[in-house]
Amino acid sequence: MNSALPVARALPSSDVTEAAQARPVHVDARNIAVDYYLEGRRQRVLHEIDFAVPKGSLVSLIGPSGCGKSTLLKVLAGLIAPNEGSVSIDGVAPREAARRRMIGLVFQDATLLPWKNAIENAAFLLLTADDAIAKTEALARAGTMLKLVGLEGAERKMPPQLSGGMRQRVAIARALALDPQVMMMDEPFGALDAITREEMRRCLLDIWERTGKTIILVTHSIDEAIFLSREVHVMQTGPARIIETLPIALAYPRNEQSYADPAFKAAQQRLRSLLIESHQRRPA
Amino acid sequence: MSRTAFDTAAASDNTRSGLPPKKVPDAVLALGLIAVVIAIWELTIRLFHVPTFVLPAPSAVIRSLIESRTQLARAAEATSLEILLGFVLAAVTGIAIALVIVHFERFGRALYPLIVLFQNVPKVALAPIFILWFGFDLAPKVALIVAIAFFPVAIDMLAGLQSVDSSFVALMQSVGAGRNKILLRVRIPHSLPYLMAGLKVAITFSVIGAIVGEFAGASQGLGYVIQFASTQLDTPKIFSALFVVSVLGLAFYYAVELAERLLVPWAPKFDAHHLTS
Repeated sequence: MNSALPVARALPSSDVTEAAQARPVHVDARNIAVDYYLEGRRQRVLHEIDFAVPKGSLVSLIGPSGCGKSTLLKVLAGLIAPNEGSVSIDGVAPREAARRRMIGLVFQDATLLPWKNAIENAAFLLLTADDAIAKTEALARAGTMLKLVGLEGAERKMPPQLSGGMRQRVAIARALALDPQVMMMDEPFGALDAITREEMRRCLLDIWERTGKTIILVTHSIDEAIFLSREVHVMQTGPARIIETLPIALAYPRNEQSYADPAFKAAQQRLRSLLIESHQRRPA
Repeated sequence: MSRTAFDTAAASDNTRSGLPPKKVPDAVLALGLIAVVIAIWELTIRLFHVPTFVLPAPSAVIRSLIESRTQLARAAEATSLEILLGFVLAAVTGIAIALVIVHFERFGRALYPLIVLFQNVPKVALAPIFILWFGFDLAPKVALIVAIAFFPVAIDMLAGLQSVDSSFVALMQSVGAGRNKILLRVRIPHSLPYLMAGLKVAITFSVIGAIVGEFAGASQGLGYVIQFASTQLDTPKIFSALFVVSVLGLAFYYAVELAERLLVPWAPKFDAHHLTS
């Protein structure tokens, strides 16, 4: 591949569990609780969440819709202050981590600025975060990241000229341009069609393998969670808590054959029964 | 007849789907329609011998237009100045109000009902008061225009500032950006297409405001010409002045639209064809 692309490390070790244990904790959430006020009534949406992500790991949060996955991600990103508990990212609080550009966010909607082209959009957050950086340098970094996500040649295209998948690639490049330590992605492929989704999963694995970032992915797709992650955290509603952390014993690099692996099937079955169970336990 | 209607609908579809252009351009069709209306008007006046002071024929209006061209030009100049000054001040006022409401949330919530209340005061009724306060010159007209035209600017700009996707705000916050940065880099640029829509409404209101202001008391301007001509039953001159007002309004409107195309090329374009679909 292109030598200009960043390669932080060799491919992740195939011995998944051992590797995970050996890595230091990167994102650490302790005893998190979040309350929302609905019509004056206090409602607990997150409860006793303990959650640790090893450095360089790709983990998923999965659960029924409305279970608080996105809220948890916002707590980790410092967008919501928890009512109880604390979060540390590489030893600092999320808000400080945000100021230090340690967090790269990607949402389901690409949210590109319609008045900027692809490369300007990819450079936008970096320029916002760092007042000292020269525009040319920011654009150069954005350009490298667009290459990394496979958008070479589309730099000057305006958002309406990009397909859904391409827009989401720009959003990923925008987060990567910050050179964050942790990528936090909330249903990043949720709005895409099945084929594009499949393509984007491979793209994300490729990016992860090249950059070695810690990635936390929120999804409601069982297949996506298993295919991508080293660990899947299963959440349950009312109030949300993590009911199980499932290590995925599939070797990297993963590809289409991974879907047929017995380990994949086993994880699929386990997750399905957990999710059905948690769905049935959901308060009416 | 129904076949023609069907053909026109099909033709206007062509422009959207990228098919070959229509045989008769829209502009020619529009001009043709105007010509037909004028012809019918002229014929009706001649056939039924309608007195000129009731309704002048287009030919009489054109004659009056030519005869009083210097008077009309000077009046148009005075009125244009009022429109321009009033419009700019209304735009500045509207933008400032929207920014204040968004930036000082608490104060904004208190200010908003007051502005809506003011909007419900009939502005025409303010014209005599403004004359009482500001005299007979430029100032009362400009004040009236601002009173009429700031509202659409403020409301549309406010809608633009507030309709920023919450994920975008979250994204900005995720890199530690504060309210000011979010306002400057996302909210304001995002609100520009909305602002332009508000300005297009405001410019038409400004023309109305200028004429109403001149009706209430003036010594120059197109509104003054209309009122003076009506006391003399010089209906052709009323119509020729109205014609100049309309052309002026059209020119101002398209000037704003041109500014929109240059400043906010990403704004959704208004397409008359959407009216048919």
